Amino acid sequence: MDYKYIEQLIERYWQCETSLEEEEILHLFFQQKDVPAHLLRYKDLFCFEKEEKELKVSDDFEAKVLEKIEKPVVKAKRISISRQIMPFFKAAAVVAIILSLGNAIQKSSLGEENDYNYENYTDTYTDPQVAYDEISSALQDVSEGISKSKVLEDTDTLVSTTPATKELIKE
Amino acid sequence: MSVTFVQLTRHYYREMQQISFRNDILPLKDKLFRLAFRITLDRAEAEDVVQETLIRVWNKKDEWKQLDSVEAFSLTICRNLSIDRSQKKEAQNVEFNEDLHDRVDSSNAIDSMEHKEKMQIIRRLFDNLPEKQRSIMQLRDIEEKSYKEIAEILDITEEQVKVNLFRARKSIRQQYIEIENYGL
Repeated sequence: MDYKYIEQLIERYWQCETSLEEEEILHLFFQQKDVPAHLLRYKDLFCFEKEEKELKVSDDFEAKVLEKIEKPVVKAKRISISRQIMPFFKAAAVVAIILSLGNAIQKSSLGEENDYNYENYTDTYTDPQVAYDEISSALQDVSEGISKSKVLEDTDTLVSTTPATKELIKE
Repeated sequence: MSVTFVQLTRHYYREMQQISFRNDILPLKDKLFRLAFRITLDRAEAEDVVQETLIRVWNKKDEWKQLDSVEAFSLTICRNLSIDRSQKKEAQNVEFNEDLHDRVDSSNAIDSMEHKEKMQIIRRLFDNLPEKQRSIMQLRDIEEKSYKEIAEILDITEEQVKVNLFRARKSIRQQYIEIENYGL
């Protein structure tokens, strides 16, 4: 068998002139069992290069790295602890609203009973004449109040119209 | 009208190139680990670096869309963190080589002792290269990256990548042949 091509390749390999493909040919060539004696001394070097590629990290390495890299996610989870408590706050708020609404309903229904129960009303005066006088004096006060405010309103309108009438006179 | 059309197209283009952490970045873990291990020469330290790298890339997720290659970006971060760590370690005067024996035991190949020993010798030669040569050879010969990608990851020119790779390959080859010829 002619090994000229391989010899040439080896020579070019030492000169760093071989391509990656040619170097692959050399690696494959030296991996076979029957390498001619004069090339045998290079076999170990090329086998070494192939064997060193088998070196690998330990098996649990990948898991360790992923654990470290996914740590930020764990941190994000820590922040969300407050978010995890949120439903409890919401539940508490709902309970508080229901309680206060219930209270309000209870109170208002009690109030209605008080307002519209006429039986609870009691007479303030025993003599009808006294009651009539009291009522008429009270009404008198009210009517006086109303007429007073009316007079005030009238004077207000008078005062406000005067400048306008003045202008009219001027013209 | 034309503006909205352009915006729409851009929007859908971005949607199409969605980068997912689980599908696009996490699978880089072994590649990142091998580079970090090559630089720090310490398994635990390397895993730490990869973890930090992935977290940093994750934190920059808003910028993913603007990157040409998230992989190159991740590898750059990984390399810089690894260099930082190994410099700190060097300052503490910790011996790197202590860990080398663990590495050989951890490869569960059923190969012969002789093969294991040979691999260990090459690994030692590899790990004794200067960091830049080590990283470049790792990315080229083990991760099969193009010169362009390596240049981008290390922020140097393609020419510099080639020069460093040439030195690295030559150095390992010469030293290994010497060991093979004259014994340990």
